[in-house]
Amino acid sequence: MPLFGELFLSEVIKKPVFDPKGEIVGRVRDIVVVKGDPLPKISAIIFEKKRQIYRISWEELNIFNKRIISTYLLSGSINSYELGEDDLLAVRDILDKQIVDANGAKVVRVNDIKLEGYEGDAVFVAVDVGMRGILRRLGVEKGGEELMRLFNTSMPYNLISWNYIQHLKPKLKRIELTIPRQMVAELHPADIADIISQVPREEGAHFFKDLDIETAAEALSEMKPEMQAEMINAMDTEKAADIIEEMPPDEAADVLSDLPTEKAKEILEHIEKEEAEDIQELLGHEEDTAGGLMTNEFIAYNPDVTVKEAIDNFRKDAEEIETVYYIYVIDEQEKLIGVISLKELLLAEPSIRLAEIMETKLKTVKPDADEMEVARIISKYNIVALPVVDNDGFLLGAVAVDDIIDRILPSAAKRKGRKL
Amino acid sequence: MTRWKRFLLFLAVMGPGIITANIDNDASGITTYSVAGARFGYGLLWTLIPTTVALVVIQEMVARMGVVTGKGLSDLIRENYGVRAAFYMMIGLLIANFGNTVANFAGWAASMEILGFSKYIMVPVGALSIWFLVIKGSYRFVEKILLVACLIYFGYVISGLMAKPDWHVVFKNTVVPQMHWDSEYIMLSIGIIGTTITPWMQFYLQSSIAEKGIKKEDYHASRLDVIIGCFITDIISFFVIVTCGALLFPNGIRVNEASEAALALGPLAGDYAHMIFALCLANASILGAIIVPLATAYYICEAMGWEAGINKSFREAPQFMWIYTLTIILASLVVLIPGAPLVFLMVLSAVINGLLLPFVLIYATLLVNNNKLMGKFVNPKSYNYISWGTVVTVAVLTVFFVVTTIFPLA
Repeated sequence: MPLFGELFLSEVIKKPVFDPKGEIVGRVRDIVVVKGDPLPKISAIIFEKKRQIYRISWEELNIFNKRIISTYLLSGSINSYELGEDDLLAVRDILDKQIVDANGAKVVRVNDIKLEGYEGDAVFVAVDVGMRGILRRLGVEKGGEELMRLFNTSMPYNLISWNYIQHLKPKLKRIELTIPRQMVAELHPADIADIISQVPREEGAHFFKDLDIETAAEALSEMKPEMQAEMINAMDTEKAADIIEEMPPDEAADVLSDLPTEKAKEILEHIEKEEAEDIQELLGHEEDTAGGLMTNEFIAYNPDVTVKEAIDNFRKDAEEIETVYYIYVIDEQEKLIGVISLKELLLAEPSIRLAEIMETKLKTVKPDADEMEVARIISKYNIVALPVVDNDGFLLGAVAVDDIIDRILPSAAKRKGRKL
Repeated sequence: MTRWKRFLLFLAVMGPGIITANIDNDASGITTYSVAGARFGYGLLWTLIPTTVALVVIQEMVARMGVVTGKGLSDLIRENYGVRAAFYMMIGLLIANFGNTVANFAGWAASMEILGFSKYIMVPVGALSIWFLVIKGSYRFVEKILLVACLIYFGYVISGLMAKPDWHVVFKNTVVPQMHWDSEYIMLSIGIIGTTITPWMQFYLQSSIAEKGIKKEDYHASRLDVIIGCFITDIISFFVIVTCGALLFPNGIRVNEASEAALALGPLAGDYAHMIFALCLANASILGAIIVPLATAYYICEAMGWEAGINKSFREAPQFMWIYTLTIILASLVVLIPGAPLVFLMVLSAVINGLLLPFVLIYATLLVNNNKLMGKFVNPKSYNYISWGTVVTVAVLTVFFVVTTIFPLA
């Protein structure tokens, strides 16, 4: 097994491979990568002589470093090899491709790959995404260093450890680390949406498919409508339904309304009945009205309930709900009669009834109110969530401030297009 | 699909092809057509038909790649041919496009002078507004401005009609090829191809189509967009040549610049024609000055894997912002500083464009024939003869153009 320190992939590509007699058997063309523990490792090298392709496994190598590469095998005894689509090759499949840097939450391009010796294997430790990598590939890394020295600075190493990399191509899945990584799930959903919007459609869809249901649901909420439809369309109905179910009903309705009617129907059928009814109800409203923006998940209690009871119930009831800012108070006919903010509720004497602390001068809108009207009221009265009631005063839902802000100031990933 | 539905689909997909086509007629394009019309009358009109065919063949392949792979041409070159190919191509593109930007600012300066504004005020104003428009403006706003600007090109059609050419002669010269063994004639006919089929617009078209996220199923609508765009480009060129051919050529007025053509039109065709010509030139120049630096910054960053985007800051995307900003600042300075090597830069840019084009076209044709990338969308066998034929012809002509630019024919 070859001795080995550390080197970059670009330093061995096109290097001659010698046999024990000192004859050149060919020049390195690529490296076969397999899953290792814990990092991916070299399983063989592919070399080329007179347009013929050969393969030597890692065990058959004698020396492997940036100065010399040699094998135990004699030049005549190596059989030619047919490159298959099944092999995962470092140059063909990884180098120059885009990957996700889960640490910095952005899409980067692989300029070079860093290898290190570890228990007799050559393992992939990091990818180089910086200027150094480009200059090394062009053969002028030293020159770049000297140029930077003239300006009294040095060229930074821009390496991303293999642990922080998320693949975009299905193929790379095969060298997935043995230690499961949490990196992508830990990214902010808005960052995930941003990443998906930056890569080609198919790769984005593939990346999305690999997210767990909860992360996928959150990331989906952050995407622009066309992208949402694309992601859901690219997946099987079962998983799509799971993701939609995980979303708050108002956002689920937004996604479904952009899908072809057939597909939306199919997904709704796979969703739990109660949840599906909530969504169906919201689908009836125009997208840019209070009804289209509101969520119909809210917490409402009777005026005769005491503060202590309300807080106890709230602990159970609020668990399933995305955002809660207020407790609504409704009478026996389910008409909205008051509202209490969470702060007021927590500060109030536990024994008194809700009727005594609730605010009764209510600001409400009808479901057909325009989104700008909703925004105006929220801004004027500094409300965090605006209740939506029908003509008879029944509480239908509430529009939260973040839903309306998304309409007025779309987040980066939702803005259409990024170039001219 | 009903006819109505098909029309709606086309409207949704429309844009990249038509916008690219219009920006293609930037200051250097208009200059070439004006010079050609003034020097040889209608004698070069026939070259527009083969040029249009070549343009359609090439743009169609590039557009198809954009739709199928969802990636830009610079991404594909980097991913399939490595960092070396991509790097040298981007260096070439940077220099050539800097020259293009200089030409556009020069066109802007000249047309502003004709309209009675000092270039020392209008060039900085133009440069600043472009910079702010892109950095601070929203995408939708910029797109609206671009579409309105595209309409202004039809001023050339109006001026062509106002010139009252003899349509019978114009038609005959358009469809019947003719050849003069005159070095200037040959240079100009190649020049027409060279300014119509440029390296950067292949990158621009493919990226904007990939960016729009057009689906494979909707490709036929996108193809229509590209073909219509190619025709619009050459219809505009046609009318520029006709205007100059009808008014300047018979009076023996030679011009070297689009702005000279606008000036010379004044006494011959009255104030309107020369105002229209100057306005259209200003429009074409400023449009080119908006897009070329921005496009350059995008491709380079994409190929090199640097952060890019107009909503990013200097700290987030330093390479992108500096390439964009410096191109605009330096180009406008070159135009303003007396004695700056303006002509040298433009010739250099034309030469590098000419050297780059064969490589871009060959890479594009190889990529479009790559089964792994294109699947069933690779070139059909028979179509490959047409595309390779076009690519080789255009490549040979541009190399010839480069050689004769460096060593002028006696």
